[in-house]
Amino acid sequence: MEKLLARRSVRLVALAVFAVVLVVAPLVSSPFINYQLALIAVFAVALLGVNIVMGYTGQVSLGQSAFLGLGAYIAAYGVKNGWPLLLVLVLCAVLPAAVGMLVALAAARLRGLALAMITIALPIIGIPLARRFSDFTGGSGGATVSFMKAPDWSGLANDQWRYYVVLVIAVVAFLLARNLVRGRVGRAFAIVKENEAVALAMGVSPYRYKVLAFTIASLLGGVAGFSYLVVVQFTSPETLSFFTSINLVAAMVIGGSASIAGTILGAIYFVVVPVLAGAVNSARTALISGAILLAVLFLLPRGLASLPRRVRQLSARKSHGRTGATAPHNSPDGASSAAPPEIPEIPAANEERQAR
Amino acid sequence: MQYFIQVVVDGVATGAIYGALALAIVLVNRATGLINFAQGAMAVMATFVAFALTRAGVPLIAAALAAFAFAFVLGALLERVVVRRFEGGDPDIAVVATIGLLVLLTGISAAFFGYEPHPFPSFFPLGTVNLFGVFLSFRSLGTIVILVVAMVALQVLFRSTKLGLAMRAVADNPRSSALSGLPVSRLLMIGWGLAAGLGALAGILVAPQLFISPGMLDFALVYALAAAILGGLDSPVGAVVAAAFIGVVENLAGAYIDVIGDDLKIAVPFAVMIVILIVRPQGLFGRKVVVRV
Amino acid sequence: MSLLELENVTASYGHAQALHGVSLSLPENGAIGILGANGAGKTTTLRAISGMLKTTGRILFEGKDIAGLGPDRVARLGIAHVPEGRGTLPQLSVRDNLLVGAYQRKDRKQIAADIDYCLDLFPNLRERIKSNAAALSGGEQQMLAVARAVMARPRVMLLDEASLGLAPSTARRVYEAVVRLRREAQLSMVVVEQNAVLAFSVVDHATVLETGKVALAGDKAELMGMDAVRRAYLGG
Repeated sequence: MEKLLARRSVRLVALAVFAVVLVVAPLVSSPFINYQLALIAVFAVALLGVNIVMGYTGQVSLGQSAFLGLGAYIAAYGVKNGWPLLLVLVLCAVLPAAVGMLVALAAARLRGLALAMITIALPIIGIPLARRFSDFTGGSGGATVSFMKAPDWSGLANDQWRYYVVLVIAVVAFLLARNLVRGRVGRAFAIVKENEAVALAMGVSPYRYKVLAFTIASLLGGVAGFSYLVVVQFTSPETLSFFTSINLVAAMVIGGSASIAGTILGAIYFVVVPVLAGAVNSARTALISGAILLAVLFLLPRGLASLPRRVRQLSARKSHGRTGATAPHNSPDGASSAAPPEIPEIPAANEERQAR
Repeated sequence: MQYFIQVVVDGVATGAIYGALALAIVLVNRATGLINFAQGAMAVMATFVAFALTRAGVPLIAAALAAFAFAFVLGALLERVVVRRFEGGDPDIAVVATIGLLVLLTGISAAFFGYEPHPFPSFFPLGTVNLFGVFLSFRSLGTIVILVVAMVALQVLFRSTKLGLAMRAVADNPRSSALSGLPVSRLLMIGWGLAAGLGALAGILVAPQLFISPGMLDFALVYALAAAILGGLDSPVGAVVAAAFIGVVENLAGAYIDVIGDDLKIAVPFAVMIVILIVRPQGLFGRKVVVRV
Repeated sequence: MSLLELENVTASYGHAQALHGVSLSLPENGAIGILGANGAGKTTTLRAISGMLKTTGRILFEGKDIAGLGPDRVARLGIAHVPEGRGTLPQLSVRDNLLVGAYQRKDRKQIAADIDYCLDLFPNLRERIKSNAAALSGGEQQMLAVARAVMARPRVMLLDEASLGLAPSTARRVYEAVVRLRREAQLSMVVVEQNAVLAFSVVDHATVLETGKVALAGDKAELMGMDAVRRAYLGG
């Protein structure tokens, strides 16, 4: 009990420190850093959507970039036509959500790969459409805007102001999502992910909740698109790139599936790793990023969010002075630090083979 | 009419390339139950081996065979060293591992050869042959012939050899296969090796047209995925037919529907695919899988 | 000398230990049964022999310790495991299933003869030779699983709950074939069964497991004579 309280207060302190850092960071950093920080906030929201569909509800989504792009284009169109920004933001949420819902209504009866394929098709179809409807999108050249400048009273530079704007959007999105996944809807998502037949038996309609998950994900994708435009002030068909979608999926798994903290870590990974890799050797960005991705998967198959647990696990092992028992690679419950010493670990590869 | 046939044949040829890659994806999926996003990147790497050899003066055919062998070893090695670790676990994590491979292999190719495209020699002469008044390019015809031969060879392997039987058994139920003494681990490696070899074939056939670069097959991979899923992931024939279908629909739509034109034609097969999948979720040729509770 | 011998074998699933030091012995040309309630460790014992689980203790086959070998290696030594739940290859035809059983053999002619023998043993399969295993009834799948094991020409067959989920008459037919196999093919057997009457139609000696330990062992007459065993496994 004491331990629980201690852990709780540690968490609260950590959260408070995190909040202070989020607020203070842009005031002491260069515009380049602020730009990257703001991008993390942008992609955290997009990633949150991916995590709600894939991590929490267990459905494959390889099309999030389409909603990101759609949101960015709506924002660009609204800004160019001088619409009120609040209205633009609402449209950026509602229109992609509506599109996502329509797609999901048709597709959510599908499972697995068929569903994956439909989501893949979204950016693939979206990119040539974005090129074609140049009146709306600016065609291949993209759309450049200039908005969301820091107001005079704030005394902030544009990069700082824009950072705070997208941070507020991200914080609101995360708070809402956190309540959602911890509540009744989140439990329904979990049941659908676990076993659709059981869900049906419990009176939870897998179809309805899958559509809901996709709708929320598209909405978050669209909102992230708005934030993207705020930060980058430019969007082009590239924003929709299929590879952005699969990198988002990779970032979700790297951060931690079905985890709010993991989503934030995933966004940091998504933005920071290419920058770091580029800084190490700009000609080797892909090589280094790929190696890091695989290394994280090998060391932490449950994502960066499982790092504290993993460290506890390993240190518990060490302090007990166990010999011979190697760390389990993917223990089903992560509670393997309590392993009785007389049972040797099954080598992971072997165990996986068995499990099939 | 002649123009129509030309458009269709060119479409089939493009589709055949996607088809080879799709077949590789199906092979891997049947053997290890996962979708390999790195299939294209592996193929590009093997194609680069052929590229380096031809540049060193090796004849194209020998370079192609060397690339095939390289691909086989690469595929088998990656299965054993990287993918094995993630098989049978959470499929999301396994797929992301192949995304990691995609990025890593692309990076390795780029480290050796840079990102800019290089010209690549072709097996076929330029020009066309006049068949009953229809002008067909050697490239399209040759590509189709080679891939049909590869498909038949694969079919013979799977249907009429002991190795093929063993590979089908392992794909079906690895645990139970082991109980009959099948060397499951080795068979999985062979499956990945064969798939990588097929990918290399696709890479070598398409490289003269696209020019070789690390990202050469990124787009073809998406088509191949579409073909594999549309054809039904458990059906090699389905994957190839679906790939040809995608190639033809794309070409026809681009050629005949003015509103669509060259830029939008990519979207057409995918739009058709969405409709097909919604009507037939198991794909065109896939078996309906009963989901167990 | 016994053909197969387990000495103080333990095994676990992940962190749950399922066998706590099981010893048993299968004589040359013998057949032993393993009886016990659900979760007693019967299936686990067979899996331990087949190398499907990490074990400790010794597992001797023809005098050699085979503990630690993978399932495919164990199978190639001549131990054929008919797993619980049949474990056929559902997408392969009946003939292909049988050919997979004979994977390690090189004697083509004899393989063809053995397929014929199996189809003679299970006439139902003859009509279904081209169907996918998935299309067979539960009884036919069980027959196919046994036949596939026979095709390997093993020294020992491990038979796991062959009656599970089958109608009594079908289960009887499966066991009649098993008895015939034991007689004609000189197969030694380890038979796991919940239904002791069926088990004793094949075996003459049995071990009773309880929560992963050997509770009793004895021959048919001894065990049938004990009230406790009769009540638990013979329904009387």
